[in-house]
Amino acid sequence: MGDRPIWEQIGSSFVQHYYQVFDTDRTQLGAIYTGESCLTWEGQQFQGKAAIVEKLSSLPFTKIAHSITAQDHQPTPDSCILSMVVGQLKADEDPIMGFHQIFLLKNINDAWVCTNDMFRLALHNFG
Amino acid sequence: MAEKPVWEQIGTGFVQHYYQQFDTNRMNLADIYTDSSCLTWEGEGFQGKNAIMGKLSSLPFKTIQHSITAQDHQPTPDSCVLSMVVGQLKADEDQVMGFHQMFLLKNIDNKWICSNDVFRLALHNFGQ
Repeated sequence: MGDRPIWEQIGSSFVQHYYQVFDTDRTQLGAIYTGESCLTWEGQQFQGKAAIVEKLSSLPFTKIAHSITAQDHQPTPDSCILSMVVGQLKADEDPIMGFHQIFLLKNINDAWVCTNDMFRLALHNFG
Repeated sequence: MAEKPVWEQIGTGFVQHYYQQFDTNRMNLADIYTDSSCLTWEGEGFQGKNAIMGKLSSLPFKTIQHSITAQDHQPTPDSCVLSMVVGQLKADEDQVMGFHQMFLLKNIDNKWICSNDVFRLALHNFGQ
């Protein structure tokens, strides 16, 4: 079995870590963001680690479980890693919902941080 | 009405152009890619404009229509624009399906090209 490309190893590891921390104690996600990170959560923008952690901590559920259906990783021209996740989640006793999330990872001082994060539930308005 | 940030204008403009071209004649999309562009289509990787256009032209449908439910755009630290699209599509007489796509746009010689493109249908394997 061939080795997976390095960007795939880094991306997969990050994704695994992110959802593990999110599902157990999302207030601990601060470490992956910096003062310049951007989060767009269901269309709302948050800039910087503090604002991002505050948003994540304030999400109105007690329990959350993410299940990843698929993840894709690519290297970018500027030596970053782009990761896209399609999955499902269950918050408290709500019905299971699909979600989409993307992460842009950058290596700063030997640590991979998340500079860009976008999350959307897979909800469509049926016209 | 306040103006949208420039990255949002660029991202929105690109997304509109992309799906318009895709739905009318997707061979016109060649211009948006370069030899260093990467496409991941349903988990399969394609590197460079030729390979990408080879894949897009070989997709097995005659008619295709995309409908965008939501799009988000952000600037990146390296002055690129990151765009995420959630929507639905209908190919030929198939059922409407959800899809998810993201684009990383980079300005090269005053032109915004797509360096990274990832597409997935929103299909989940229901365990329960």
